[in-house]
Amino acid sequence: MALSGIQIFKMTPKKNCKECGCPTCMAFSMKVAQGALDISACPHMSEDALAQLSEATAPPMKTIKVGTGSSEYSLGGETVLYRHEKTFVSKTRYAVSLCSCMSDEEIDAKIEEDKKVDYDRIGERMCAEMLYVNYAPTSGADKYVSLVTKAAATGKVLVLGCEDAEAAKAALAVCKDAKPILNGANASNYEEMSKIATEAGVVLGVHGASIDELYNTVAALEKLGNKNLILDTTGATIKETFATTVQVRRAALKDSDRTFGYPSIVNLSKIAGGDRYMQQALVSLFTMKYGSIIVLDEMGYAEALPLFGLRQNVFTDPQKPMKVEPGIYPLNGADENSICLTTVDFALTYFLVSGELERSGVPVNLVINDAGGLSVLTSWAAGKFSGNSISKFFIENVQDKVKTRKVIIPGKVAVLKGDIESKLPGWEVIVAPLEAVQLVKFLKDMQANGEL
Amino acid sequence: MTLFERVFSGNDAVYGLTEAAVDAAIAANGEDKAVSFPDTAYALPCYYAVTGVKVTNLKEMKEALGVVKSLMTRENQLNDVFMSGVATALCAEFIEAIKYIDGAKPYTEPCYGHLSDAIIRELGVPLVTGDIPGVAVILGSAPTAQEGVDLVKSYQAQGILVTLVGGIIDQCQELGYKTGANVRVIPLGKDVTAVIHVVSVAIRAALIFGNVTAGDAGALMTYTKDRVPAFVNAFGPLDDVIVACGAGAIALGFPVVTDDDKDVPAIPKSLIIQKEIAKFNPTSLEARDIKIKITNIDIPVAFASAFEGEIIRRGDMQIEFDGSRVDCCELVQTKDASEVEDHKIEVIGPEIDAFEVGTKHSIAYVVEVAGKNMQADFEPVFERKFHSYLNCIEGVMHTGQRDMIRVRISKDAFNAGFRAKHIGEVLYAQVKNEFEAVVDKCQVKIYTNPEDCTRIRHEVATPVFEKRDERLSTMTDESVPVYYSCIMCQAFSPSHVCVVTPERLGLCGAVSWLDAKATNELDPNGPCQVITKERVIDERIGEYEDVNEAVRKFSQGALDDVSLYSIMEKPMTSCGCFECICGIEPFSNGVCIANREYAGMTPLGMTFSELASMTGGGVQTPGFMGHGKHFIASKKFMKAEGGVARIVWMPKELKDQVADRLNETAKELYGIENFADMIGDETIAEDPETLVAFLTEKGHPALGMDPMM
Amino acid sequence: MPFNRKPQKFNAAIKTVEIGSGDKTVTLGGENVLPFYSFDGEIKNGPKVGVEITDLGLDHEIAGVKAYYEGAATIGEIAKKASEMEGADFVCLRLIGGDPNGENKPVEDLVAVAKEVADAIDTPLVVEGCKNVEKDSELLNKVAEALQGKNVLVMSAREENYKAVGAAAGLAYNQKVGAESAVDINLAKQLNVVMTQLGVKPESIVMNVGSAAVGYGYEYVVSTLDRIKAAALSQDDKMLQMPIITPVASETWSVKEAMATEEDSPEWGNQEVRGISMEIQTAAASLAAGSDAVILKHPQSVATISKMIKELI
Repeated sequence: MALSGIQIFKMTPKKNCKECGCPTCMAFSMKVAQGALDISACPHMSEDALAQLSEATAPPMKTIKVGTGSSEYSLGGETVLYRHEKTFVSKTRYAVSLCSCMSDEEIDAKIEEDKKVDYDRIGERMCAEMLYVNYAPTSGADKYVSLVTKAAATGKVLVLGCEDAEAAKAALAVCKDAKPILNGANASNYEEMSKIATEAGVVLGVHGASIDELYNTVAALEKLGNKNLILDTTGATIKETFATTVQVRRAALKDSDRTFGYPSIVNLSKIAGGDRYMQQALVSLFTMKYGSIIVLDEMGYAEALPLFGLRQNVFTDPQKPMKVEPGIYPLNGADENSICLTTVDFALTYFLVSGELERSGVPVNLVINDAGGLSVLTSWAAGKFSGNSISKFFIENVQDKVKTRKVIIPGKVAVLKGDIESKLPGWEVIVAPLEAVQLVKFLKDMQANGEL
Repeated sequence: MTLFERVFSGNDAVYGLTEAAVDAAIAANGEDKAVSFPDTAYALPCYYAVTGVKVTNLKEMKEALGVVKSLMTRENQLNDVFMSGVATALCAEFIEAIKYIDGAKPYTEPCYGHLSDAIIRELGVPLVTGDIPGVAVILGSAPTAQEGVDLVKSYQAQGILVTLVGGIIDQCQELGYKTGANVRVIPLGKDVTAVIHVVSVAIRAALIFGNVTAGDAGALMTYTKDRVPAFVNAFGPLDDVIVACGAGAIALGFPVVTDDDKDVPAIPKSLIIQKEIAKFNPTSLEARDIKIKITNIDIPVAFASAFEGEIIRRGDMQIEFDGSRVDCCELVQTKDASEVEDHKIEVIGPEIDAFEVGTKHSIAYVVEVAGKNMQADFEPVFERKFHSYLNCIEGVMHTGQRDMIRVRISKDAFNAGFRAKHIGEVLYAQVKNEFEAVVDKCQVKIYTNPEDCTRIRHEVATPVFEKRDERLSTMTDESVPVYYSCIMCQAFSPSHVCVVTPERLGLCGAVSWLDAKATNELDPNGPCQVITKERVIDERIGEYEDVNEAVRKFSQGALDDVSLYSIMEKPMTSCGCFECICGIEPFSNGVCIANREYAGMTPLGMTFSELASMTGGGVQTPGFMGHGKHFIASKKFMKAEGGVARIVWMPKELKDQVADRLNETAKELYGIENFADMIGDETIAEDPETLVAFLTEKGHPALGMDPMM
Repeated sequence: MPFNRKPQKFNAAIKTVEIGSGDKTVTLGGENVLPFYSFDGEIKNGPKVGVEITDLGLDHEIAGVKAYYEGAATIGEIAKKASEMEGADFVCLRLIGGDPNGENKPVEDLVAVAKEVADAIDTPLVVEGCKNVEKDSELLNKVAEALQGKNVLVMSAREENYKAVGAAAGLAYNQKVGAESAVDINLAKQLNVVMTQLGVKPESIVMNVGSAAVGYGYEYVVSTLDRIKAAALSQDDKMLQMPIITPVASETWSVKEAMATEEDSPEWGNQEVRGISMEIQTAAASLAAGSDAVILKHPQSVATISKMIKELI
């Protein structure tokens, strides 16, 4: 049972010393209760209180950090099974798989391909953040090391798929400073692998032939004192992989089984190798259901465009809708003479409206206001999308950049027409239909009637 | 003869005729002869629906006649009358069925006789959707053909399906009035027994659309009564047979309206005497509780939400009604049904043609409504919509409410023909449409004489407003029998449920107990549901078993229990749209409140948005809760922890807004004068230490209260 | 110590709704575990895959779809091929041409199309209207009448026209009714409540609780599906136990990622592959969150998703 902010506060020194970075002990306690701060951030906690709190406030699932610098990523740390309960905190990360069994040309080509997909979506960089480097014993350790070196040069986080101790050591020797993952422990080699990973200071991936074997191996590793783990939940089949991945996460979060309280790796190259379309289906499935790292053969634009959209949706804060940057978005080749259409910065509204506008083919300057990321009616009700705010935005950001003096406003805020007109002299305010889907016809009619 | 005796006598007569007809048919065709109506899967539908038995030949019909006889009890109880009515109908069905033996076509243009299943399925859908708002059965001959046709026409114009039996058919023909299924005026037949064909429609509708099992007569009658909006108009004089048929109609829940005041006594809601044929229509609609949807508003300018924001400048204005200068008001009043004539729009005083361009005048418009489910508590709910209704008129601008209104009418609207009476049309149409669930009848009075307006404002409206305010301010959680849930914002906060009580409005500040009540009654499946509060668990914190059950249900199990009056124990959850957040400030032993508009720091060490992220989303967070501004001065505000005396800090702007009411509450609860002055704000302190120093200096009561935790 | 399994057992199940007639009926729903949680209990009827065709024919379709239907000249022939697609469980006919703001085809023409399709196939049929509330009220009424005995699923009854569509399809002509609401659990429930009050049996209702392409506000779809399944199974909420059908193709093939041609966005590569991926990923996510049926368009997507379902069950 998690502690409430109040319960934590009672154990703080109540000095408001601000040394933890919070202005008050109350604020600190609330952040700890939320899992946003660790209790150890308070330098004045008594030993007793610390011991009591660390256990109670320890998250059910560990947050494991991999990579360094701008390529450092947190995995795990989730507290809920469904996004509507509370925000998922650590996004699923994707790794493209390479293997020492591939020819050099093949490897170089894949690395080059992988670099091409790297773009921005609603203010977030989108690319496969990792490379999964698989060791094929037939290729020998030297080839593997050279592959690892090549992969490391990309700057991406590496996941070393290697159960061979010597090869792993050699590979880590060239890349351990970048904090890769050594995915190589199993029931028979875990002691040795744990030692290698610990010495190199990297996260160890654990695999089991069955969910029970995985469980026992993790328990054994924890006994050795290694809690810097990640669980490879890939099974022999798609069905088994799904079962293991879901049960591991559920055991940790719902049933408080801390042994399974680690992030997961799902390797699609193993269960659907070579089947690009099946991998597309599964990467979506495992993004929804509890893959922390998903490994796949390739990440082209075809995979990336839907996938990163999905991930952005699933990992948003259910309380805080996604926002787009306020500003002017010229559509369909709009120029300074094209009519303006304005709406709010709620991402969903933006996507719906811009989609319909694009379908209309009519050149329009879509002007996105700063409305706190709320929908039209909500922001209107909250006073964030008002005659004042719209006219102010137009005067400060739009008026000088366009020659048109016509603006279309959402039908749902028809009530603002007069207000905007009086505060935005010289502009004609036109009321759009109530729903975005009606925009295509509305604009086409305007165009046909020469009203644009 | 009493009505009972007349029904029995009519029933006996029809039974005798039927027996003779069945015997004659057997004599002519043999008893194995098949009987059926064409194009139906329900044999003799009425008999089948009532008994569950399909009659297929004359032998079975003869047996069935025995069953019918058993319904004809004569105990002089109401039930005997109804059953005799049903028996009469079943007899009529037998007589009609015999006409169809050997595939005969007993009916010719314009009469239809039996209607096929296909027609019923086709008519059934608009009946279920309300597109056909009612079914009129007109029986006999009107005093004059013109009166009869006018009545038919009046129903037709309302979209009501009209069926004709007897002389009215000839009267329609005589005046060349067009009939037929396509125009929804269906002549059935000239014999009175032909009325069974419309009964058969109602009954098959129950079987097809109501999932009624054949033989379940109780369910059948419930369905026809509740779901088939049919009624009978029978022209006098009424003979016994018609009276007996009428008893059958009443048994199915269909009222009978007649102009015959000699032969039958009136029975409230069932047998209604209306001497004027011209008033058959409204009388019938009222008796059957049929409401006609208004599809277009009869005004010379456009009506759409696109005009809501239109501003009419002085230069464009034809005239203005200005409540800030002269007496004006708008009001909704609940009246008895007898006092309201539906759709009556009266302009009392000069129309606006009489006013000079650009001048200011008085206006008072009173919307009088009647309805079985209407309650005075809805009046302000309607009134608040007037602003939006009038603004949606092209060329009309409305601001304010109650007696502080201003209405401008543009020159363009005036030139297009817009007059004061059209304000009435709009109010009538919108109130009827939007509040259909509670408004049966509505009329509008528009006063434009200054004397009338003064009188209405001061003698009628002001007392009403005062009474309403009084009721609002005296309404307590204890004085009402139930609370309401509100889940309007679950789209954002999936597990949040507001429990709205008179003293604790929804935390968005927008839903008062009265609003929630009205929402519930106007939309019974909507976001506000009744929560009983009969099983109290803990009076002190305001915890009820019923409330907990409701919260569990509406949060889909995410929440187990809540208290209404405590911030520390099981506090109510918060959505994302609360006006304010209040959080415990341990050093002063009180709470700080931050409102949404306040962007600065609070002595809690957290801003409004930081607080919001910790308390929102429908999660119980002891020590923190979202609430409406209005709640701050409530006597129930953290009652369990000692009430408003715990408030130690709030932003200045908010404090100024609530100071008067808060001071009043504090005076009443603790005898403290000017309590708001003891409360800190951002100009005094933004950290706990400075705040505590200030509170100590002021002698704030919270410092001396029991520790909150 | 082995892993202590704690399966989530529910005392409630999703209702089953059967569509189609004859040998090839399809049963939607019936599960009493979370989506694909076969480790918690047996999944009786796996999710189903439908193939979308429209009255507008194939002119606007992408090359691969056109290629699949090559040789099919009439809507009947197209329907037949759709029903024979690898992995297809049913056919979904969308009568887009009825839209008054589009082609505004008359009701009779569209009813004729629906009849031709129904007669050409022996797999179950789902008929979707044109999304215009008024037009659909009439159109779906006539479709339900014309297809009596075929036990089709008529989509969709919405808040504005549920009475007309529900009464026609669910009561008068004994078809199944799709109840469509905007992405919100309470609206979905409310529609089911009023629909059953109208007299439509809960066993005749399939829900369409709204959909979107991934990346386009899909978080609402996920949470709505998650919450409906949770309420149906753990709270035994009878008004949310109807199976869920999610139209995917109609959403995914109209977003930029699937519509931009290779000339428009050369770096994005082959348009068709992008479109398929959008369709597959959206379908997989919808199934993962609890859809009992998805409606797809591209043969590759249909084959892939149906294979994924088989692998998981």
